Amino acid sequence: TMLPLLLLLLPAAHGIARVPDTPKLTEDPRVEGLTTGTTFVLEQPRCFFQDYGDAVIWLVVALDEATSTFNDSAGPGTPETAFQGFPSPVRAYMTLNATLGSYPCPKPDGEITVLRVGSETSCARDATRPTCNGPLPGPGPYRVKFLALQGSEPVADTDWSSPIMLRTAKSPDSISTTGSGHSAGMIAITTILSILFAILLAALVAMLVFWGSDSCGGSSTFSKPEAVTVRRYNTHHVYDQPAA
Amino acid sequence: MAKSDDCVHILQGLLVFGNVVIGICGIALTAECIYFVSNPDGLHPLLKATENSDIYAAAWIGIFVGLALFALSILGIIGVIKASRTLLLVYIILMLITFAFEMASCITAATNRDSLTPELFLKQMLERYQKSDPANNSDNEVTKTWDELMLQNHCCGVLGPSDWQDYTSAFRNTHSDADYPWPRTCCVLDAQGLPVSLDGCKLGVPGYYNSNGCYDAISGPVNTHAWGVAWFGFAILCWTFCVLLGTMFYWSGIDY
Repeated sequence: TMLPLLLLLLPAAHGIARVPDTPKLTEDPRVEGLTTGTTFVLEQPRCFFQDYGDAVIWLVVALDEATSTFNDSAGPGTPETAFQGFPSPVRAYMTLNATLGSYPCPKPDGEITVLRVGSETSCARDATRPTCNGPLPGPGPYRVKFLALQGSEPVADTDWSSPIMLRTAKSPDSISTTGSGHSAGMIAITTILSILFAILLAALVAMLVFWGSDSCGGSSTFSKPEAVTVRRYNTHHVYDQPAA
Repeated sequence: MAKSDDCVHILQGLLVFGNVVIGICGIALTAECIYFVSNPDGLHPLLKATENSDIYAAAWIGIFVGLALFALSILGIIGVIKASRTLLLVYIILMLITFAFEMASCITAATNRDSLTPELFLKQMLERYQKSDPANNSDNEVTKTWDELMLQNHCCGVLGPSDWQDYTSAFRNTHSDADYPWPRTCCVLDAQGLPVSLDGCKLGVPGYYNSNGCYDAISGPVNTHAWGVAWFGFAILCWTFCVLLGTMFYWSGIDY
């Protein structure tokens, strides 16, 4: 009988307040790099922790399946929460600490207030920087929450976000470059030109076959060269003196 | 007889006129093809790298066909006026050969244009842009051409900056995804050539990066080029067809 009572008392004894906000990916402005292969962009926790004026707000990034086992009292910067050990053996790390002053409430219009998770590449392998905001090692899914610490005591946190999947890149070999067929213009050009060429060849053959014969209609229209031309060949053609 | 002379004169006049037009069009075709071959849009390295640069072969053929048409049109005019069977027979046969070459050029240009799809350029860009140890010079050319293309047209990738995210690439092998979601040339640059806001560019905030793809900037000039060669050549050939038929008819009526 003591056990249920103890269990009931535990959350109260836990001392962490749950603020009614959830971290989410940035919606305004719409950024192209909302999720990339190794980073994602969150909205800043403005107006989340108003009652905790002197707290330091940390971001906890966890594997999807590790959210239930995360210990809020694990301090930042310890080997249990070091980025360099993520995802194995560290299943959730803490990074991006900031005081409440960095997140003034309400958010001024026109400012872009985002947190880019995964943007620090210089310290990704530096064990002396366990709170590094390093690039994520895989496509996820990941879940995040904000945790407010006063001194080293956790005092408030948010809900875990919904799972965040990052982008996976395909190989360029998967792009098929086989043509999408021929356009109508190309087919038109080919057929019409082929037909014209065939007609010309046929006409050439007909022309050569009937060479010399006057059987073609219309030959009588110019069987004689012009009168002017005949004059030039006077020495050869003794007939057909034109009338003066 | 006067009437038949008039018919002869009219036919001769039409043939001379037809040949004059062919001569002028031949010069125009040569000029147009020289313009395309001189690579005014700087896209030659990209097309060469696709190993399918038949569009340039078609343009080269067009240059010589244009000159041949001009020369043959002069021969045709002389042959028609002199009513010489030999000259006209030579003219007809050479014109048929030129017709065949120009036909090949038109069909090649049109077919090749159809093969230049966005996927082709996308694959080439992903495999060759900023390749770290280029096997041959053409990869450097591809990189330089893409950089100039992206700078001048304020565009990124073939379909958009997400090309660099959706596919692995030679660029991705040497540049980390967190620092370079897409190349720096996709960022809006200031007068010194530096990004106006590097963070804005990496995030992909509208106004600090180029969100359009470059495919329109590529396909525009390539289309003009290909259809310029193909359709103008087609028009010339249709006209030449009529003139040749008239010449054959005229030839068969000449009497020695």
